Amino acid sequence: MNRSEIKELIISSLEADADPQDFSSKLEREGVHYDFKNEFTDAVLDKILPAVLRINREIEFARYLFFAFRSIAISGIAAIILLLISIFLREGSISFDSFLGLRDNYDESIVCLLTGN
Amino acid sequence: MVTESYSDEKERELVKASIDGDKDAFGKIVRHYRKMVAATVKGMLGDSVFTEDIGQEVFIKLYYSLRDFRGDSKLSTYIQRIAVNMTLNELKKRKKVTSLFSQKGDDEIYEMDIPVTDAAERRDAEEIVNKALLALDPGFRIVVTMRLLQGYSTRETAEILEIPEGTVLSRLSRAQEQLRHILKKL
Repeated sequence: MNRSEIKELIISSLEADADPQDFSSKLEREGVHYDFKNEFTDAVLDKILPAVLRINREIEFARYLFFAFRSIAISGIAAIILLLISIFLREGSISFDSFLGLRDNYDESIVCLLTGN
Repeated sequence: MVTESYSDEKERELVKASIDGDKDAFGKIVRHYRKMVAATVKGMLGDSVFTEDIGQEVFIKLYYSLRDFRGDSKLSTYIQRIAVNMTLNELKKRKKVTSLFSQKGDDEIYEMDIPVTDAAERRDAEEIVNKALLALDPGFRIVVTMRLLQGYSTRETAEILEIPEGTVLSRLSRAQEQLRHILKKL
């Protein structure tokens, strides 16, 4: 394309009924294309690296926290189950009072322990 | 010249991985959309050393705002909006600097744009397009860049610029008039 044809192409591309993709493709064939330098992507990634590292640290911390919580929760549930089994074996039944360590009979040992008499 | 968008599924996958700190996933987004951003930034600001920095800032801003990306529009539209806003802000800054220097009465006005480099070595088409775009008013330049360099339809341009389609059409028509005068001189 010569200069006047290119100018005409630019003008006609702005018509309301023009097909924009057709015109931009023609311009691209004439050597009109844009890009950044080769090292552009690496430069961007280098600049976001601190943020990436921070996000990775946060994710790692959340993961450790989850594992710690899970371990504690499993141990707690196991302890409760063992407690219920031991109550059942000792009392022959499981009641809320026995689970809390409360009995119907008066326990002198507690009074002795508290008063020293 | 429109950069093809990723499929919705692929796009969500890459965005999620980038948010989760996957550098390679974000690298794929940058590599895929860099030409699209280059066309917007260089079309609006001219081909200067500063456009590389602005292009980088567009993607850095994108990275930090990915959590806000809800997927209502395509990722390409979202990136274009960031690129357009940043280039318009840059143009405002340049205008301020230029007016500041001219108020001081300096003979030499500070010019941030490095004129199209080695024009003689460049192809005619690129030279004409660049010179014509830079001579346009910024308000018209943006719609012409979207249409001429990116190949966006009126509807797509309106969506990116968040203006009514009628406004896009009227700006294109007025830009066409301005370009007729500009191109006569080139």
